[in-house]
Amino acid sequence: MSIETTPCVPGLFGELDGRAVLHGSRCAGCNTPYFPRAATCHNPDCGESRMEDCSFGGAGVLWSFSVADFPPPPPHRFDKPFVPYAIGVVDLDCGVRLIGQMTDAPDALRVGARVELVIGALYHEEERTYTSWKFRQIAAAAAGGN
Amino acid sequence: MREVAVLGVGLHRFGKTGDEIVGTKSVTELCRHAIDAALKDAGVPWKQIEAVCAASSRFSGGKGWGLNGNDVVEDMGSTGIPVYNMSAGCAAGGNAFNVGYAMVAGGVYDMVLVVGGEVMPKGMIQTSGVEEVTDPEFLRQRCVGMPGPAFWAALARRRMHDFGTSEEQFAKVAVKARKCAVSNPYARFRKEVGIEEVLASPYVSNPLRLFEICPVSNGAAAAVICSAARARQFTAHAVTVATSTVATMQFGDALPRGLAGPVPGGPSLHTEARAAVRRAFELAGIGPQDVSLTELQDNTCYYELAFPEEWGLCEPGAAEHLLETEQTTPAGRMPINPSGGFLSFGEATTAMGVFQIAELTWQLRGQSGGRQVAGARVGLAQTLGLGGNATAAILKR
Repeated sequence: MSIETTPCVPGLFGELDGRAVLHGSRCAGCNTPYFPRAATCHNPDCGESRMEDCSFGGAGVLWSFSVADFPPPPPHRFDKPFVPYAIGVVDLDCGVRLIGQMTDAPDALRVGARVELVIGALYHEEERTYTSWKFRQIAAAAAGGN
Repeated sequence: MREVAVLGVGLHRFGKTGDEIVGTKSVTELCRHAIDAALKDAGVPWKQIEAVCAASSRFSGGKGWGLNGNDVVEDMGSTGIPVYNMSAGCAAGGNAFNVGYAMVAGGVYDMVLVVGGEVMPKGMIQTSGVEEVTDPEFLRQRCVGMPGPAFWAALARRRMHDFGTSEEQFAKVAVKARKCAVSNPYARFRKEVGIEEVLASPYVSNPLRLFEICPVSNGAAAAVICSAARARQFTAHAVTVATSTVATMQFGDALPRGLAGPVPGGPSLHTEARAAVRRAFELAGIGPQDVSLTELQDNTCYYELAFPEEWGLCEPGAAEHLLETEQTTPAGRMPINPSGGFLSFGEATTAMGVFQIAELTWQLRGQSGGRQVAGARVGLAQTLGLGGNATAAILKR
């Protein structure tokens, strides 16, 4: 049983009041979101580049997904034996298109489903659980009220 | 700008380290073979080459492996000519051709050699060599684990959602590609495959299967290009370059290449590839309807369906019907990858853009044998490289 939980990369994401958040930035000039944080705005039509720290999270729609049927090469890390996982491409309601692993099994997923950002275990090493941001499909019944 | 001709082309057949095709040959040996063939095809001795444009896979930051153009020149004989090493991921071959084309067109040199070649590392291409949190590719692989095939698979699944594309249709692209390769002596895979065999191959990244994704290969390609005026001293029927273009990704490109971006207002497509091809049409004064055949970068069969639509060769959602009715075969009205494509060659990264020039040249000369597109007059080539690089070239006779 792992005793400590550590982000797989520090400073990128966390939890706030029990909800997963990504630490990104947004240009106040043109509203373009960035994750990870960007020092300058990359929009060639934006002459302002007024960057502000911004948190992203919440729910969105599964634009598409694929499956890692084989273990990816380093620098990815995973628990052995390798279990295939799905990778989602999600359009969050806050205007960010984001990739992340799905907590759901590949067979359970469908394009267009409502999903939410969560923090989940990525791999375990030396009594530690290393985490990353992931997406979880919101059950159809639960999503109906949103 | 002067008119530019492709005077000679050559390939080393593609293979896998240790097989009977490439064995343990080094990248320099593979390139020498391709260059010798191109020089012979052109009727030009090495000492008449005035500059070399090499597609180099040595990415900045220590990533990459393979080709360094200086090694090739030393091997061929150090004549002291300038060597330009171009790095643009899988688009490097197209970039090298573009720079060679531009310098001949601009009158800087009269006779230029363009070359690409690889001895590839085994397995999935490892895109990040450093564990550095400021490297977006490191973050993508450590935090998510999304290798190249998973990127393609996400696009393929979205196409299934948008247009109802079936797994059988993806498989049919692979069947068609391998059928073309039977008559291509330079292809690595020259045996036909049936749809059942493709569908029985394991998923690499669901919904894409092993036979629907190109593996890495060893191989080399070379082209001798010169001014059209100079070409007339060698032949009355030289293939000429209508144009050659390079483009990079545009802001707002909505494909999941990094970790995140803005949710797009419009379509999600390869902005660099579309820009390179559309610019080529514009510069050449040639439209999609004039194209006799296309050699496009089919790292996966998905691209053979998506790219023609992204560039206006056919309407969105029409590619499956064209495939099913055999319009994309060499005998059809929109032939795609008569060479057999990446699916039949495997990818020797930097060789690919030059390999396409070789295939177009043979097609336009009518030298493609069983895969010949009858009466081919205009050929389109396109590459796409990691980092948002794309190239296009249009050759004509």
